[in-house]
This record gives sequence, C-alpha cells and structure tokens, in this order.
Amino acid sequence: MTADDVPFVACCPDCTERTTATDPNEVVAFYRRHHAVTGHDVSWERTPPLAADVPADPDVDAVVAALGDPDVALGAVSAAASEWGWTVGETLDAVHDRRLTGALWEPRDDHVALV
Amino acid sequence: MTRWNEDVDEVQAVSPDITDETNALPAKYFTDPDVWEMEKEKVFSRYWVYAGHENCIPDAGDYFTRTVGDKQVIVARDEDGDVRAFYNVCAHRGSKMVADTPMTDPGNMGRIQCPYHLWTYDLDGDLRSTPRSFEEASLNPDLDDSDVAGLDPDENGLLEVRTDSIGPLVFLNFADDPPLSLAEQAGKLKTRLESLPLEEYQHARRYVSEVACNWKTFGGNYSECDHCQANHQDWITGIQLDESALEVNDYHWVLHYTHEEDVEDELRIHDEHEAQFHYFWPNFTVNMYGTADGYGTYIVDPIDEERFQLIADYYFAEPELTEAEEEFVRTSRQLQEEDFELVERQYEGLRSGALGQGQLGPNEHTLHRFHRLAQEAYNA
Ligand code: FES
Ligand SMILES: [Fe+2]
Repeated sequence: MTADDVPFVACCPDCTERTTATDPNEVVAFYRRHHAVTGHDVSWERTPPLAADVPADPDVDAVVAALGDPDVALGAVSAAASEWGWTVGETLDAVHDRRLTGALWEPRDDHVALV
Repeated sequence: MTRWNEDVDEVQAVSPDITDETNALPAKYFTDPDVWEMEKEKVFSRYWVYAGHENCIPDAGDYFTRTVGDKQVIVARDEDGDVRAFYNVCAHRGSKMVADTPMTDPGNMGRIQCPYHLWTYDLDGDLRSTPRSFEEASLNPDLDDSDVAGLDPDENGLLEVRTDSIGPLVFLNFADDPPLSLAEQAGKLKTRLESLPLEEYQHARRYVSEVACNWKTFGGNYSECDHCQANHQDWITGIQLDESALEVNDYHWVLHYTHEEDVEDELRIHDEHEAQFHYFWPNFTVNMYGTADGYGTYIVDPIDEERFQLIADYYFAEPELTEAEEEFVRTSRQLQEEDFELVERQYEGLRSGALGQGQLGPNEHTLHRFHRLAQEAYNA
C-alpha cells in the first residue's frame, strides 16, 4: 500500500502530527488519544469522495440521514462535516449535543443513527 | 477506612442495614471479569430472565433469538400457538443454527434447520429430517445401509429451555431446578402487570444501544432519581420529585413519579396518576409512562463486565406512531442518552480502582436491595 491508497488523512494543526487511515473511525481514535494528551483538535486533510450529498449548511442530523443506513461511523460523519471546515472535535461535540437531545443514538460503538 | 485504597484494606459484604457504611456492593463486583463469569451461572442461569414479547411473534414459525450470558436461545411460536424456547445448538454436532445477536428482530421459519449438515427440526424441537447421508452408510465400507438404525426424532430433538410468562412477557430460566417459580420471583409485579391489557399494545420501536459500563451500573442508575434534578432538566419539569415514592419488593422495586398536573386519563395504560418504573431483578424493566398511552421495556443485557446493551422497546396502541408519540419516544431517548453519559462516567471512575466500596444514601434503598440481591446470588 502506498500513501496514495490511504483514503483518510488527518492532522493536528498545532503540532503537525499526522495520521493516515483506511477506516475513518481510526481518525476518531487518533483524535481522542491526541486530544487527551495535548488538548489539541484534529482537522481533516483528505477524505475519499462521499457516497452521498452533504448539505451546504452545517447540519449533523442531515449528514447522518444521508450516510447512515442503518448507522454511520462517527469518523465518516466527521469526514463529511470537514466540508464545512469542521474539525474532528467539533463534529464529536455536535454529535454529543444531538445525542443528548435524543435526536441521535449509538446503536453500536462509535456509530450513530437518527432516532 | 473501608471505602478507599482497595489494595490496602478489605472491603465488606453489603450490610443488611442501610445506615451502615458498608452498604454498597464493593467496586470489584462491577469491574472484575471473574465476577462476570460467576454471574453467568449464579445470576443469569438461575433466576428468571426476560426473553421478549409474545406479540412480536404472532404466527407459527415466527421467532427471535436471545443471548443470555454464554447461552443462545431461539424463542419461537410453534404450530399449536405456544411460545417455546430452545438452545440455538444443533443436536448433531452442536453448531449454532440461526443468527445469534443478543436479540434479533423477529423472523419466520417453517422449520429450524442447521446450516452445517442440514439436520432439520420441527417447531416443537423434534428432529424432523436428516439428509440421506445420515440414513445410509454408502461411504463406510464396514456398514450396510440396513445396519443404520435411524434416529429417534424425540431423543435427537433440540434442547428446550424452561419458559413462563406474565401476560405477553416471556421469561426464560436455565436452571434444572429453578429456586423460584416466575410467580415467586415476580410477586406483586405479576399481579400488577396482569391487571393491565399489555397484550393489546403493539411493538412500535426498538433501540439497541451499546454502553460502556457494567450492567449493574446502569441498573443502579435506573433505580434512583436522586440524579434527576441535576441531570434530566427536561424530564423533571412536570414531575413532582418530592412527592414520588420508592417501593421495594423482594425481587423488584418501583419508582412512582407523580405529575405536577393531572395528565388526561386517556393518556395512559394504567389508572394511577403517575409514572411507574419497575426494575425486575436481574436485568429487566417495565416502564409505565404517565404521559403516553403505551409502555416500554428495557433489557439491560450484559456483553461482558464492562459493556452492556440496552434493548429499549416501546409499545403503543398502534405500531404507527402519532406525532405526539414520536415526540414522546424522542424525549425518552434523550433520557437514555443522558443516563448513558452518567453511567459511563461513573464506570470510568469505578475502574480506576480508587474506590473499593461505595456508600449508599438513606434514600437509595432500591439500590441497596439491588446490591443485596447481587450478593445473595453470588453467595448462593
Ligand atoms: S451440526 Fe447441525 S447438522 Fe451437523
Ligand atoms: Fe437517569
């Protein structure tokens, strides 16, 4: 596998640590470790083309609705939200907020779906 | 100091007196994998455990599967209309036969067929047919076909698991000789639930969520509402928390919540002007809402010592929900998410090992009952 085969690339703008992954949830795991240690957020550098349209305006529920059948990996939600310029941390916070209003839920670990 | 420095000091048994300091189940019973191994036998193979709702399998051949500890079960309706449960294990060489998620959505099958060598069973568990390779000895030069005795359908049938029900709610018991009948374990809960028309309501929604904590951590959280004021802002509006009552019975406890204003009588399945949340040892709840004409059930299904699945089912008069019912379910989901956050946070704390044995407050007598039951089960 060459670097070009890795569809997901994310990095920390603060300390330029970079991660490449084939599964977008690996980026979420990277963010969690990195954030826990440094407090830094992580942004997306490269994501593969999405399987569905992401609305122009930020709306997590709409992304989950578009990608989530039956559920969607948190990392994939975050990769899609990068189109709005969102970092991994910003997406995770938004998902958390939507979960705590009962709009989203987590049928399996690190995957979300619309209620 | 019994409660801190678990490595240094011994913890104590859960004291019968709630005013003693050692009144909570020691932390290791929530975090130790060996305890979970023990619970598979001493809790989940001995008491009556909720399997599912009869309404979900109305016709002959309808079935769902359940995983309880290490045991997998097929719950099916047979040709006579009875609901029965069988180990999901083939009598030939022990293969699993059907999908084995903790609880599958209902399916239908005319017979139960093992995919390995195609032994096929009737819905009453009897062996119905085997392929010719089990009836003839063509590959074995030492035998004639006439030497093959054939298999007794009854002797070679599936292993049945004991079931009993309360209204449409089906329970399983894996013990050869259960220490309690379902009626004994359920006590007053049985009478109460049987007085309600539970079977008239239809399954409308199911949410299965994986949560990162021990099953008892969530069970404990469900059993008290001291955390509600601080953590369920939306829900507590309209609820008179100080007029609520906690009722403790042998194997179940009930949290009664009074509503500030009377909600319309049509808006509930039961007559009382309150919501009632029943926790039934070990891992089942029945949720009677004060503001919706329906009810819910939770199965708090352990995956291992540090994870469980919450299977949340909602039953309403019609499976198609009205706008108001949709909104109700959304609010209920919100409550669950808020609780998941609390219990996951609590569990991270418990796992750190800093707390050897917690301490329950005087109004946490429902939890105390829960912890006492766990201890009783472990020592039995
Ligand atoms: S193990 Fe089931 S048919 Fe062989
Ligand atoms: Fe709660």
